Amino acid sequence: MSGTCHHRRDPDGRKALLTATGLGVRFGNYWALRGVDLEVRDGDMIAFIGPNGAGKSTLLKALVGLIAPTEGRVAAAEPGLRLGYVPQKLSFDLNFPISVGEFLTVNHPARFLWWGGVSRRFRADIAAALDSLHVGGLIGQPLGTLSGGQLQRVLIAAALLQQPRILLLDEPSASIDRRGTDELRELLASLHRERGLTVLFVSHDLHFVGNLAENVLCLNQTCCAIGSPQEVLTEHHLTATYGGPAPSWHHAAPPR
Amino acid sequence: MSLAEIWSYDFLRYAILSSCILGPTCALLGVFVTLRGMAFFSDALAHSAVTGVALGFLVNEKRGLALDPMLVVLVFSVALATLMAWLFQRTNLSPDTVIAFSFTGSVAFGVVVIAWLEKYRLLDGILFGSIYSNGPSDLVKQGVLAVVVGVFLIGQMRRYTLATLSPELAHSRGIRTAWLNYGFALLIAATVVVALKMLGALLLSALIVIPAAGAKLVSRSFRGMLVFALLAGLAAPLAGVLVSCQINVPTGPTVVLANVAILVGCYLFRAIRAASGRA
Repeated sequence: MSGTCHHRRDPDGRKALLTATGLGVRFGNYWALRGVDLEVRDGDMIAFIGPNGAGKSTLLKALVGLIAPTEGRVAAAEPGLRLGYVPQKLSFDLNFPISVGEFLTVNHPARFLWWGGVSRRFRADIAAALDSLHVGGLIGQPLGTLSGGQLQRVLIAAALLQQPRILLLDEPSASIDRRGTDELRELLASLHRERGLTVLFVSHDLHFVGNLAENVLCLNQTCCAIGSPQEVLTEHHLTATYGGPAPSWHHAAPPR
Repeated sequence: MSLAEIWSYDFLRYAILSSCILGPTCALLGVFVTLRGMAFFSDALAHSAVTGVALGFLVNEKRGLALDPMLVVLVFSVALATLMAWLFQRTNLSPDTVIAFSFTGSVAFGVVVIAWLEKYRLLDGILFGSIYSNGPSDLVKQGVLAVVVGVFLIGQMRRYTLATLSPELAHSRGIRTAWLNYGFALLIAATVVVALKMLGALLLSALIVIPAAGAKLVSRSFRGMLVFALLAGLAAPLAGVLVSCQINVPTGPTVVLANVAILVGCYLFRAIRAASGRA
């Protein structure tokens, strides 16, 4: 296992929002992640890459607070820092009778009583979140009937309802086809560009990563490399990260 | 027997009022029991009442006390529910394994105690219940239960719904899912204890699970499921009491059969809707 590396790039004095220091997560006797230092700055767009079992999702979940670190710590720059987490997939009973609008209502961060239906008070918020992802027509559709791409957008809408400073996505392109992946890349790029949203995401798709991320963190239980896609997505770093022949990728379009 | 005649008898009036309170309360709880796949959990708690009642008689007989056995059932059910919820959270045993050994172990222990006390007749009442033995004090207990379940579930409904749909997503939104799970287990325990007298351990699960299961079959939204379950939860026990009076058959099983009839109706409705391409 190689040593730790540090993401302390601060070219323009942007504020650090989230800092992981000496982060380690152990499951039983197995260290999924160890010695990771990472500083997430306002406006960052960082991708986590690495082979299966490298600790990418574990790092993302530790940053969200879903997994408690075994060692080290995760600190937010301000109390109540709002995070919008989008899981890799929503494993739920497809016969669960809940509409998309109701799903977004239960995800709304405000405190209010609810007994089914779409909240009248927050209907405009919910419709706007869906419209911004071009799925406004799905508000009354049962959640279990959505396609992979539609569900991915609804999950992002649910995360955006939290009015997050940081959007964290676990393998957002895993369950969608090539065209859907391109649309998702455009969508995340526009959220980053137009709303100034800080975005962290895990991906196996180096084409997706290379055309979207500003920085790439290579993980294999610890941090192997970090830098811009041009610096990191090289044969040398990819071979070191994946421990074998480097996966190929090509930069097909301007990053954003 | 006319409705006016039925209403004129105290025991029938109390049975009808009890149905109107407990039916929708159990159905509301059943919405989450069904969606969380906990039908076997409520069944296990209902059967553990055998042990609670046996322990109540044991304490009274050996210590010369006059405790209400249902109080001991409440304590035992709450303790068992908490233990099972703890085992779900803290061990890698699957929920059905935890329920199976808790269920069979507690019932076996209860039967041993009942055999030792030579109180075999107790088993009849615990297993089959007797809705006609309800009195005003039972209605008060049932009313309090309805208020507690209603306030708790409606107050936490958004959290419970999200935690039921995706515990991971709920956790990421700052919802403390472990506490919700404990709270829900305790609500089931309290409901089982209060409703046991009406249907008994064998039939109680029907009151909790079937209205919600039927509602799930025909609903496309959460509100639809909630409203349908509450209506079915009200209609089935009322129909069961009234029909059993008319044709002179046991009330508990009639209530269960009314629930099953609703479930079959829901299934047929869904099948017809699917066949006509609107599912």
